[in-house]
Amino acid sequence: MNARLARAITRLYPPAWRERYGEEFAAMLELGPGDLGTVVDSLGAAVREHIFPTRGGNMERDPNSFGAMMRRPSAYLPVAMSLTSLVVVLSAVGYGVSQAGHVVRDADEGAVAHIFQILMTVQWPITLFFLVKWLRRNPGQTLRVFAVQAAAWLAGLAPVYFLHL
Amino acid sequence: MCDIYVMRSTRDEVQDENGVGLGHYSDPPLLVLASLASGSKHGHAMIDDIARLCGTRLGPGTLYGAIARLEQQGWIEPLPPEERRRPYRITAEGLRVLRAKLTTLHQFASAGLGRLEPL
Repeated sequence: MNARLARAITRLYPPAWRERYGEEFAAMLELGPGDLGTVVDSLGAAVREHIFPTRGGNMERDPNSFGAMMRRPSAYLPVAMSLTSLVVVLSAVGYGVSQAGHVVRDADEGAVAHIFQILMTVQWPITLFFLVKWLRRNPGQTLRVFAVQAAAWLAGLAPVYFLHL
Repeated sequence: MCDIYVMRSTRDEVQDENGVGLGHYSDPPLLVLASLASGSKHGHAMIDDIARLCGTRLGPGTLYGAIARLEQQGWIEPLPPEERRRPYRITAEGLRVLRAKLTTLHQFASAGLGRLEPL
């Protein structure tokens, strides 16, 4: 089918449907025959989609997009744990500075140190699970999410390293 | 199985052996599930496979109507796109649904043929 006609037919579908299926649908129309039956079938389906729209599931987003991947618990939990660790450590440092006027370094490992250690290590099996589950299915976005997880982990580690805590 | 029902938005690819237009099986979601049971496919491959499977050529609009609803029900899932085309595969739940539907159809066909035997 003519590419312009394929795009024109695709534009007749509701925006939410186009957002999710438009690209692949237009590609399929372009590769197929541009006969009357195909046009009528596609127009009929567009009308049906307006009257009885497909809802729920993955309609609102591409399940393989970066955003959708980041919304998976095994993707965002390690990031959340790293950021929580960062906040806990910086809060403790800020409290120490406000009380003593300088960064306080405890000789003994206190509660903050234990929280830091738990948050920074418990996330490893979660990240490993994420990589094992998704790397083969969606390598590009999986590596991007992993880069975010690694950056968050390094950010969590940064105050300990730079302030010699 | 493919000659049981007559429905919408599809075209006959084959006629029955007597040349009589008895129609064709057309339950697009079930046809998509049956096609994906033999492995992941993108839209065009599904259309060709379904045409080979039971002589019904789904239109692109009908096919994607079925794909969208099957995906939201969790019976199929998309795979990463290959250029502009996106393959789909059947899920474990989709396989369970397909097996149940085909079993029902099989029982229906057997019972119907059984009634025809004395005639």
